[in-house]
Amino acid sequence: MEKLLKGKNAIVTGARKGIGYAIVESFAENGANIWACIRAEDSDFSANVAEMSKKYGVRIKPIYFDLSNEEQIKFAFKEIMQEKVPIDILVNNAGITHRALFQMTSLKTVKEIFEVDFFAPFLFTQMVVKAMLKSKVQGSIINISSTSGLDCDGGRSAYGSAKSALTCFSRVLAEELGLQGIRVNSIAPGITDTSLITLNKEQITQIVSETALKKMGTPKDIANGALFFASDLSSFITGQVLRIDGGLL
Amino acid sequence: MIQGKTAVITGCLQGIGRSTLDIFAKSGATIFACSLKKTDEYTFHLSELYQRYNSEIIPVYFDMMDNEAVKSAAREIQRHKKNIDILVNIAGMNHDAMFPMVTMTDMQDTFQVDFFAQIIFSQYIVKLMQRGGNGGSIINTSSISGLDGRAGQLSYASAKSALVAATKTMAIELGPHKIRVNAIAPGMIDTDMYQNVPSEIVSAKVQATQLKRMGKPEEVANTILFLASDLSSHITGQVIRIDGGMGA
Repeated sequence: MEKLLKGKNAIVTGARKGIGYAIVESFAENGANIWACIRAEDSDFSANVAEMSKKYGVRIKPIYFDLSNEEQIKFAFKEIMQEKVPIDILVNNAGITHRALFQMTSLKTVKEIFEVDFFAPFLFTQMVVKAMLKSKVQGSIINISSTSGLDCDGGRSAYGSAKSALTCFSRVLAEELGLQGIRVNSIAPGITDTSLITLNKEQITQIVSETALKKMGTPKDIANGALFFASDLSSFITGQVLRIDGGLL
Repeated sequence: MIQGKTAVITGCLQGIGRSTLDIFAKSGATIFACSLKKTDEYTFHLSELYQRYNSEIIPVYFDMMDNEAVKSAAREIQRHKKNIDILVNIAGMNHDAMFPMVTMTDMQDTFQVDFFAQIIFSQYIVKLMQRGGNGGSIINTSSISGLDGRAGQLSYASAKSALVAATKTMAIELGPHKIRVNAIAPGMIDTDMYQNVPSEIVSAKVQATQLKRMGKPEEVANTILFLASDLSSHITGQVIRIDGGMGA
């Protein structure tokens, strides 16, 4: 297959496992150099991406910061900027999940969820956009939201609201950055086979049976969507939300 | 991305259909290229594609105004005994008229080509997809008019809107057979459709997009390629706007 991101530089947050890791792999396979952002140093992760980097002939650099720590975000961004290469692609994937009835959800929890799922990507994107504008790239920003942010399912008063805010944020950015040629889209994964799943076996079976394709999504499925938005295949698409949910119709 | 797959594409004579034909040929698919008529330019183009990419292209000619022609075109495709993996419904027609002036004939013709014929044709082709047992991907071409409405396009917008409902319904019914069904909704794409639109209207509409430009037919074709390929294997029942951003 032709390499869809040849020579591009991408930042992926939440890269340690699940969807983020699959995005790193898919982007590397397609020729992108990557800053793979994770919370803290992890020798297994470093070894894995080093191997990946060798396999696909691209550069993958681990970057460490905690999304609930503003100082760390700023410091990490400086580290990226020191390399003086343009940033073409940003994938805001890192996030935390939460499921509890509204009456059982404390304001403290809501604030924690918004801190990581909304404020952190907001701040980080601000920095990246500044760099994108400076280097005049035809950039692509991809926010990983959730079907919970669109469908507003029970138990998701904190998480769904934060993801909904992220989706709105994406569309506002698309409007503001279109003129400069920066595209902003989001992806809303449905039930996806990662460690973030907060449902029990029966609940999973129930939701899977409600999908048209009768299957759970894989991290690779979501990564393929991110690849589409990151690549020039989607060059006339901005401000959109793509559901990758097996057809929760 | 679709190397070795077999695709049926309608509306290959020009515009988005032509670009899709080109990109699919380049990607190594076997193609049943459907169009309303045979022209010298088109026939020459097909032979050029064959020479350049060595991909098998089988031309099929039929008029979507005629249900019998749709049926015999499907039979013709069936006679080749190939498993169909991809169906891209692009052929369509547009007849502008303001609401008070819309005639029954306009509506009937538009719905015939933009809706009824699409469904009938898909019914036949889905049978061929199911025979293969490997599932498949169907891409219907709706329009932003079908989602947002547009002055002067009552018939067209309504038919394109009906196609969205059909897409979702087909996705639900065909999902268990591993057949995915999605729609695209192109916005302002630089094709013959805009040739007769006054330039000041075109530039006002371009200004209303976030990317401040018209789209190119190949940009639509690239999204079709994504939806046809296994990159989108968990995506079904969706409508993707390819409109340069319109805040919708």
